[in-house]
Amino acid sequence: MRTHSRATAWFLASPWVVAFALFGLYPFVFSLGASFTNYTPLAPDATRFVGLANYARALHDPAFWSALRNTALFVLGTIPFTTAASLGLALAVQPAFRGRTLFRVGFFLPSVVSIVVLSLVFKGLYASNGGLNSVLALMHLPTPAWLQDPRTALPGIMAMDVWAASGYYMIIFLAGLEGIPRDLYDAARLDGAGGWARFTHITLPLLRPTLLFVLVVNTIRSLQIFAEVFVMTRGGPLGSTTTVVYHLYEQAFSRFQLGEASAIAYLLFLLSLGLAWVQMKAVGAQEESRG
Amino acid sequence: MSEVREEELVPPPPAWGMSARRWLWLAPLLAAMLLPFLWMVALSVSPQAGNSFTKALEGPWDFSQYRTLFETGKMGRYLLNSLGVAIIVVVLNVVTAAMVGYVLGRKRVPGERFWTMGIVATLMVPKQTLMIPLYLVLARLHLLDSYAALILPFAVDAFGIFLVRQYVTQLPIELEEAARVDGATDWQIFREVALPLLKPVLAVVAIQAFLTNWNSFLFPLIFVDSDHLRTLPVGLALMSQTEHSVDWGFLMAGSTVASLPVLVVFVAFQRQILSGLLAGAEK
Repeated sequence: MRTHSRATAWFLASPWVVAFALFGLYPFVFSLGASFTNYTPLAPDATRFVGLANYARALHDPAFWSALRNTALFVLGTIPFTTAASLGLALAVQPAFRGRTLFRVGFFLPSVVSIVVLSLVFKGLYASNGGLNSVLALMHLPTPAWLQDPRTALPGIMAMDVWAASGYYMIIFLAGLEGIPRDLYDAARLDGAGGWARFTHITLPLLRPTLLFVLVVNTIRSLQIFAEVFVMTRGGPLGSTTTVVYHLYEQAFSRFQLGEASAIAYLLFLLSLGLAWVQMKAVGAQEESRG
Repeated sequence: MSEVREEELVPPPPAWGMSARRWLWLAPLLAAMLLPFLWMVALSVSPQAGNSFTKALEGPWDFSQYRTLFETGKMGRYLLNSLGVAIIVVVLNVVTAAMVGYVLGRKRVPGERFWTMGIVATLMVPKQTLMIPLYLVLARLHLLDSYAALILPFAVDAFGIFLVRQYVTQLPIELEEAARVDGATDWQIFREVALPLLKPVLAVVAIQAFLTNWNSFLFPLIFVDSDHLRTLPVGLALMSQTEHSVDWGFLMAGSTVASLPVLVVFVAFQRQILSGLLAGAEK
C-alpha cells in the first residue's frame, strides 16, 4: 500500500545533494587538505605536503595576532553595549501602546540596509569636516580625526556596529519576552515586587536562553566583521582596524598566500565551532536543570 | 479574579495617556537612531552641500546627483545586476527549499538524517571560512567572473530548506495520506497537496533570500572582477574608493538607491521578515 517512489524522493532531494557536495563538503575537505600543503592556483603541479607549516606561519605572523587582538577588542567592546541596548529597546517596545509597531519597525530598520550603505554613511559622518565633528565643534568639544586616527578608528567602527545591530537583537529579545507567562508578573505584583525586582527575579532568569543565544550569535557574527572595514578604513590606519576576516581576505586575495589563508580560515572555523559548542552545552545544561 | 482573566483575554486598547508618556522618550530616541538616514537622503539631493548637513537642509534641492549616478556612473548597470541576480536567486531558493524541505520533513529520502545534519552544520559554519575553497571550486569550474558565480553557489540555501523542513514536520499528514489512498503518485502529492500548504513559509524564505542576496558583499566582491558584472553594494563600495571618494552627495545618492528596494520590501513584508528572523532564533 505505502509505495513511496524512491525516484521522486531523490529528485526532490537532489538540489541539496548536489549543492552540499559541490559547494559545501568538497570545498571544505579540499581546503582543509590545502591548508596542509603549499598549494597555489598559480602552480598547482608543484603542490606538496608541508604539514603544519601554514598554521605555524599564520601563528608566527604578527599581523595575525594584531588582527586577532583587534577582533577581540571589537567583540569585547561592542557586545556588552549591543546586548544592553537591544534588551532595553525590547523592554521599551514590548508593552501594548499606540504606535508600538512604528517603533519596532523603526529600530529594526538599520538591520535591513546593506552594510556597505551604513558604512558609507558613517564614513561621511566621521569625516574630519563631517556631521559628527560639526556637532562637536558647536559644543566646543575636541574634534578627532576619527577614522584617520589609529586610536579612534576601531572605536568608530564599533560604535556604528552597536547602532546597526541593536534593533536586530531587540527583535530576538522581544520573542524571548513574549515567552514569559504574564501570570508570573501578576503574582509578583500581588506580592509587592517592584519593577526592578520583577526584572531581576522573573525577566532576567527566564530570559537566560535568549540572552545566551544573542551573546553567541552576536559573537560569531562579530568574528566575521569585514565589509565595514573594507569600506571605511581598508584595515588602516596602521593596521588598527584589520580584523581576522580582513586579514584573511588580504592574505588570500592581495598576497595570494592561499595555504596560509586557508589555515587562518580553519582557525576561525575552530573558534566559531568552540563558541557554538559552548552555546549548546549551556542551553543543554539549562534544560536539564529545569527537568 | 475572573474579571482580571477576561480582561487579559481581550486586551483593551491601550490608553492614550500611557502611550503619550512612552512616545515622549521613545520618539526622540528613534529620531536620533534614524538621523544617519536623514543625513544620507539630505546630502543626496543637495549638490552644493558637500559634506555639510546644515547646508544640505537649507537646499536648494534637486536630483542632479541621481542623474549623474545613472548617466556617467554605472549605477544603472549595478542596479540591474543586483535586481537580476537577486530575483533569480530568490526563485531558485524558493523552488529548491520547497522540494528539499518537503522531502526531508517527511523523511522520505534515504539518508535523511545525514542530509539534515549537513544542513545544520552548514548553518553553523561561518560562511567566510569557505571563501577560499569556494573561490577555488569556481575557478576549477571556470565560472569565476560570471553571473553564474553570483548565482550558483547561493541557489540552494540551507536556511530556507531548514525553515521549510521544520514547517513540514508541523503539518498534519492526513491530507497526503488521503491523496495516496486515492491513487496519487508521490509527485502529485507534492505538487498538488503539499505545495499549496507551504505558501506561508515559502513567502518567508523568499523575503529572507532577497534581503540576504541584495545586501551580500564579500562573495560578489571576490567572485567577480569585471565592472559590468558588479552588484550594487560592490559597485558602490569600489566607487567610493576611486575618484568619488569625497563626493559625498554622489555617494549618498548611490546609497539611497541601494537602500530603496530593501526598504520597500521591508515595509511591505515586515510581518514575514520578523517571523523568519524568529524562526532563525529558535533553531
